[in-house]
This record gives sequence, C-alpha cells and structure tokens, in this order.
Amino acid sequence: MTYIGKSVKRVEDVRFLTGKGRYTDDIKLPGMTHAYIIRSPYAHAKIKSIDTSAAEAMDGVVAVFTGKDVAGVNGVPCGWQVNFKNGDTMKEPPHPLLVADVVKHVGDNVAMVIAESKEIAKDAAELVDIDYEELDAVADAAKAVKDGAPLVHPDAPKNMCFDWELGNPKEEVDAAMESAHHITKLEFINQRVIPNAIEPRAAIGHYESAGDKHTLYTTSQNPHLTRLLMSAFVLGIPEHRVRVVAPDVGGGFGSKIFHYAEEALVTWASRQLNRPVKWTAERSESFMTDAHGRDHVSTAEMGFDAEGNVVGLRVKTLANLGAYLSTFAPCVPTWLHGTLLQGLYTTPKINVDVTGVFTHTTPVDAYRGAGRPEATYLLERLMDTAALEMKMDPAELRLKNFIPAFDGVEQEGYMTQVALQYDSGNYHKVLERALEMVGYEDFRKEQAAARENGKLLGIGFSTYIEACGIAPSAVVGALGARAGLYEVGQVRVQPTGKVSVYTGAHSHGQGHETTFAQVVADKLGIALDDVEIVHGDSESVAFGMGTYGSRSLAVGGSAIVKSIEKIIEKGTKIAAHKLEAAEGDIEFSEGKFTVKGTDKSIGFGDVALTAYVPHDYPAGLEPGLDFSSFYDPANFTYPFGAHIAVVEVDKDTGKVSLKRFIAVDDVGNVINPMIVDGQIHGGLAQGIGQAMFEGAIYDEDGQLINGSYMDYTMPRADDLPSFEIDRTVTPCPHNPLGVKGAGEAGAIGSTPAVVNAVMDALSPFGIKDIEMPLTPERVWRAMQ
Amino acid sequence: MKLKGQHNFKATPAILWEKLMDPDTLARVTPGVSRLERKGDDQFEAIADVKLGPVKGSFTGELSVLEKKEPESFTLNIQQKSKIGNVSADVHIHLKPLSDEETEMSFDGKAKLSGLLARTGQRVLSGVANTLTKQFFSAMEEEVGNNPT
Repeated sequence: MTYIGKSVKRVEDVRFLTGKGRYTDDIKLPGMTHAYIIRSPYAHAKIKSIDTSAAEAMDGVVAVFTGKDVAGVNGVPCGWQVNFKNGDTMKEPPHPLLVADVVKHVGDNVAMVIAESKEIAKDAAELVDIDYEELDAVADAAKAVKDGAPLVHPDAPKNMCFDWELGNPKEEVDAAMESAHHITKLEFINQRVIPNAIEPRAAIGHYESAGDKHTLYTTSQNPHLTRLLMSAFVLGIPEHRVRVVAPDVGGGFGSKIFHYAEEALVTWASRQLNRPVKWTAERSESFMTDAHGRDHVSTAEMGFDAEGNVVGLRVKTLANLGAYLSTFAPCVPTWLHGTLLQGLYTTPKINVDVTGVFTHTTPVDAYRGAGRPEATYLLERLMDTAALEMKMDPAELRLKNFIPAFDGVEQEGYMTQVALQYDSGNYHKVLERALEMVGYEDFRKEQAAARENGKLLGIGFSTYIEACGIAPSAVVGALGARAGLYEVGQVRVQPTGKVSVYTGAHSHGQGHETTFAQVVADKLGIALDDVEIVHGDSESVAFGMGTYGSRSLAVGGSAIVKSIEKIIEKGTKIAAHKLEAAEGDIEFSEGKFTVKGTDKSIGFGDVALTAYVPHDYPAGLEPGLDFSSFYDPANFTYPFGAHIAVVEVDKDTGKVSLKRFIAVDDVGNVINPMIVDGQIHGGLAQGIGQAMFEGAIYDEDGQLINGSYMDYTMPRADDLPSFEIDRTVTPCPHNPLGVKGAGEAGAIGSTPAVVNAVMDALSPFGIKDIEMPLTPERVWRAMQ
Repeated sequence: MKLKGQHNFKATPAILWEKLMDPDTLARVTPGVSRLERKGDDQFEAIADVKLGPVKGSFTGELSVLEKKEPESFTLNIQQKSKIGNVSADVHIHLKPLSDEETEMSFDGKAKLSGLLARTGQRVLSGVANTLTKQFFSAMEEEVGNNPT
C-alpha cells in the first residue's frame, strides 16, 4: 500500500490556503440580482399588514415578495416521520417559505427584497412597513408542554409533535429499578447550541428559459437530497429540470444537511424574474436561522446492584424541536438518541421515553453527533455520579460493566436492548489505554496533594459508542426515514488511464479529495495525482445522499470500492485477451495485470487505452472502462472510545482550566491518520465548547439574546490544551474498507468528560451537577 | 427586562406631577430623547437616540399616559420602533409624599425588546438602564430647582 494508512497532505488545502476555493458567494453570474430576507423581530406575532410600496419604488429594487406571493408554493418538507405511541402520525405543520399570517420564531422569513445590489436590497428592506401584533411566546420545552402555554401550531395540542418510546417494556424496567441496590438520578438540560460554520449559508437561483432549467448553487452537505426535496416537494419542478451544485462549502456540522426555505425562494424568484438571484446570510442570520442543535431536558435514572453492576436505565426526555420541523428533526432525539442508550454497558433493561415539543424558537436538527452526544452525556454523567455516590472508582465501574470484546466475525455482533446490533468492539482496551496515558494512579495522588494545598484538581471520564455510517436503507425506512441512505460511487477511467471518481458524498472540510483518492490510487496501483475526486454537482454525479453521520468513507468509500472491483474485473478480461491467457490466470496488483507465474504483464494504462480504442479486443465485450455502484450498508458502523479530561477549578473565580485532554478512539481502519486526527481535534473542540462556553439563550419573550459573537462564546485555541490522542483499531466487519467513521467521535465523547472532571474537582463541596456551559459564574455560584 | 428606580426630591408631588406631564420638561430630562410632541391629551410622539454598548439606534414612536391618579401615580406606555429593533414597555410611576417638602419618586416596569437590540445589547442593558436612570433623576433635580445630589 503506497497511500492507505499514510498521512498524505490534503490536496484540497492548496486551493483553500491560497484563496482559490470557490464558494457559493464567490459565484457571480451575468445579470445577477441580490436578495435580502426580512425576518421577524418577534418570536410569535400576527402580521397585521405589510406595505411594500416605498421599497418597490426605490431605484434599483427589482421586486419585493411576501407570503401572499408564494401562497401557491408548498412549504419546506420534513424528511423523517416519527409516530405517536398510539400510532398517530406526528404533527407536521406547514413551514412556509415566507410567512403570510403568524410568525413563529425570531428570524422567521417574512419578505424578500430583490435588488441590483445587496446594499440596495438591504436599504429597501428598511422601507418595508410591517405591522405586527405581538403574541405570547414560549421558548422552553418544559414550559411549552404545560397546560395554558401559548401554542406554536393550533393543531398541535400541548405543543406536542410526537411522543415515542423504545426499549424494554416500562414495567420490566420499573421492576429492575425497584430491585436495585442503588439508583443514581440526574435531571439535566443538554443546552441548545448554534452550529457556527465558518461560511454562512448562501444560495443562488439561476433559471434559464432556454432549456427550462433551474440551477441552484447552495451551501449544502447533500446537493442531491436538496434537489429531491425542493423539486418534488416544494416547487413541483420535474427533477431533470433542476440542477443543484454545492461547490466548496466551508463547514456544516449538520447545519447544511437540511433543505432551507431560502434555497427554494431564490430558485422560485429566479424563474419569476428570469434573472439569477443570490442570497448570502449575514452572521446574525446564521445565528437566528441555521438549524440549532441539542436542547434536551432529561430525567435519567440508572440502577445498580450491590456490586455496582448496572441493572436498569430509565430515561425521560423533552426534545425542543423549535417552531417548525427541519429536515431530519424528528429522527435526532429518537432514533439517533434512544438507540444509543445501551452505551458500552451490559445494562439488561432500558426504557426511553421522548416527547418532541414545538416552541417559538429556531428549528433544531442534527448538529455534530446528533442525538448521540445527548445520549452519551446522559450515560456518562450518570456513571461518574454513580461512582461518587457508591464510593467506587469511575474507571473501575465502567470496566466492570463493559460489554466483552467481540469482532463481529468469530463472535456475533452485540444485540442491544434498544434496537441496534453493534458490529464489533473492544471497549476495555480503549479505556485501559487512556488510563495508561493519563497516568491514573499518579493522578489521584497528585489530586490529593493538590487538595491539601487548596487547589481543586479533577478528572472526568467518558466512554462512548456511536452509530455511524448512516445507514442501511431497509432499517431506516422501517424507522421512518423518507429516503434511502445508500451512496453512489462512479469510477471513470479515462483513455489515458487517469481516473475521475464521482461520489455522492460531499466534502465541506473532511478532505474527501485526499482520502478517497488514496483509496482509489492504491486499489488501482496508480499515482495519487492521477485521481480526481468530483462531488457536489447533481449534473455530474449520478445520485447521492451526501455527508453527515460520519458516513462518507464507510458508505461513499465502499461504493467507490465496489466500482473499482468492477473496473478490475473488466480490465482482467481485456488483459487476458491481450496477453493471450485465460482470465483465471490473470492477477492484478500494483497497477499491472500479470499472467500468474510469468513475467508477462500489461499495465493499467494500456488496458484503459485498449478499452477506449478497442481494435484488438475481446469479442462481445463493451468498450469503455466506467462503472457506477450503489452501496447500501448492511448495518451501521459503531466507533467507540474513551476520553479523559483533567481540569483545575479556580476557587476564587470559578474559572475552569482544561489542563489535559486524552482521547483514545477506535474508528476502525484508518486511511489518512492526519485527517482523522484533524477530525478528532475539531470534534473535541466542539464538544468542549458545549461543556464550557456555548449555549443559545432565549428570554421569556422568545428573543435570542446572544445572537452575535460578542455574546455567544466560542472555544478559542487558548482555551484548549494540546490534545493527547491515540487509537485502537477494531475493523468494521461489514464494509470492504473496514472503516467506521471519525467525524463526530470527538464531539460525542468530550462533553461529559469535561463536566465530570469539574464535578470531581468540586466533590469536596458536595456539588453533583451544574448546568452547562460551566462558566466561571455558574461554577463560582455553585461553590458558594 | 425589568425597570426599577427611586429617588427623593425636595419638592411636593404636585410640582413633580406638573413637570412629568410637560412634554418640554420631559424631553429635556429624559436621556436620549430629542423631541417630544403632544399628540393628544395623554399622548406624545417621541424621537430618541439611544446607544447600548455596540448598538446605536434612532427610535420613533408613541408615549401614552394611562391610569392617571393626580398627583400620585400614572402608567407610561412606551411603543418605540427603530431599525435595530423595537421596544415596548409599561412603566408605573409613583409619587409618595415623605413630608411637606419631600417626595419619593419611584418607577417600576418591564420592557420588551426585539430585533438586533435584543440579540446583541442584552449583556450591557441593565448597566445602561442604571446610567440612564441616574441621568434622568439628576436632570429632574435641576428642573425642580435643586442642586443635583
């Protein structure tokens, strides 16, 4: 292997670092107009009137559209259905492109001003006179389900979207809990966070009357899915008349999976005006309108026997979904959360109960980890708290309860109580390695000595599992997905032996152009430079499901491998003909087809040329060397790991300093260790950000009161230690590369490790829980 | 946001009442207010410029005096619009005689903010409100002819 397993430098970085990237906002089309969206300043209000005449009269204004103008266009659909326990379909209220009657969150789209320049559009927007009648609002999920709370949608009583249950029957779990020697109970909020991709969302609609073609350039993680949702469900345009291009995209973290109203609006408006229409979000719009993440209120109880074995787990969660259902919103707190509550433990009885709640806030959907960080937070906070309460060591308590190692080949996958079957795992190994790296025994001595000197040192653990490589279509279909979640990979060998690869996965920071090329170059025995990875354009890539859920390599990479196998199979036929040997005697390695046991061979490039210039060619074989494959995974993949945080808390100010962070992750086989390290680092920063700094705050009127970088704290480099990371390798048994996915691991494992460490540091004060983020003020108040 | 403040004046409730009901005086003493015009018996149109930390805006809108109980209390309803967001508030003002020549003026109310104002200004808002309150009381002292304390 020349490339696989090597830290090849990212080929895309040359263009990113030299300013040659091409992002949606960089695209300028002839005759392009600029849109500005007027957004609701209120969380809940009736639009009494809108007067657009002054704006329309302004020089340079092309059009002003309001809710009335789009009355004939459908709203934005939801891509996942979760039913009520009684079988009723979830409440799925309309999500209009522009609101005509009642706005339901701060930032809700009310009108769109289109002008010759962005500045004119913005100035004209100030002349649009909108008269609102403010109504009572509710931002908090716990308050929204109470009797008498303001209703977000009149046809969703108690603001309930669905209620949902998974696991063992409640009575069985209740009985297990009753038999428990000790029960640890925590009630906590997994606070709402804002994704903050470095590139704000943008979209350009370009209708060309010649050909009746609609092109949408957009900041999307899955252009084909956006095309499907927008063409078939919103605008009703035949799919072959719509092209969606997601060029370079600057980060998504989930927030760019979803089909947003602005994408449909610019496409629709471009057709009305017969001119391209561009919209680019300002940062404050990103804060208000990018789908937010997390926002769960949970009560969790874990029961233990006298020896510390877990006997049961009972979880009740209220999930804030915001004002409308974003594309995958119902799936996140249910099938991506409830199904992960087995964790790494042999818990015999588990019951999870989730209620999805509408509030007058920005829609909530998948954000790095999506449901799995919430599940992990809950389990791992319970574990450390239980250890403290039962006076046991938190690492020992975990090791005692871990599922024994299984490789998914010799030993069967582990069947959980919550619907999933884990593929392969060796959980003791990651924690033991992490303990070794932190020097656990010495640390406890150091901690005791520090306490005597009045210093508050703490250590916190988190051992996690996640379900990635999303996902087997038949499984997710049964769970309510309204799409298949396979991936498409096309490998086109050019006549000269150069290779173009078309993948339905989408890179917005993950480095696919490098990782995928490493796989292709090695499998075909050619140079890395001879491989081009093409993604993000529905016109060049046959189809695709995009990138999220740490799926790109596990699912998208596997599709490419399947196509490479077809290339080699056909190449073998051509080589056998040219070498005058039987097909069965040909072997392919390092870019050469060789007759076994001889020195007779033909290079990959010659075979490619023969395929396109088939003068001397096997009878009955089609010319060309170009194959496409759909790969539908057999199961999710299940990466896992152990994270340890070491913190010091300042007694006088409450400031938490993160001293060390150890992460041992098992993401299966690794193609590019440097890129995986980068993914882990980024994930850790985001997970630590949630623990210590981040959190969207709504006031009682439903106003987002920290919607700017002056008020919303992001983690900075100087808040973080140099991460100490390592890996173990337990290959995935069911995909050809043996990979599991690394995009979300860091964000899933790190958050509870930090909070556990702070609670450990504060254990002399008898403090059991502090609500995230652990700001100096909150920690200081808890100590007083 | 809650609004609250109190101050003792060496003046009778009647004098203070008269000042509070006079648009010209109010325009002078209220920080940021550049114009206050009577629109009806108990209605005024106001133009104000307010700076809240990084956020600056020019507000226009109406003030209405409600629930008048001369000379002891009234409610001021404020509806102001600006490019940076809207403010709506109800403030209850009380005048309580402490002696023949001393009166306590107190107010108590709630303001609702929206838009950019709500998103970016909140962190500094209570500090700004305190400063404005002090400025208001000290300007009022001058109006009733006392040396500012």
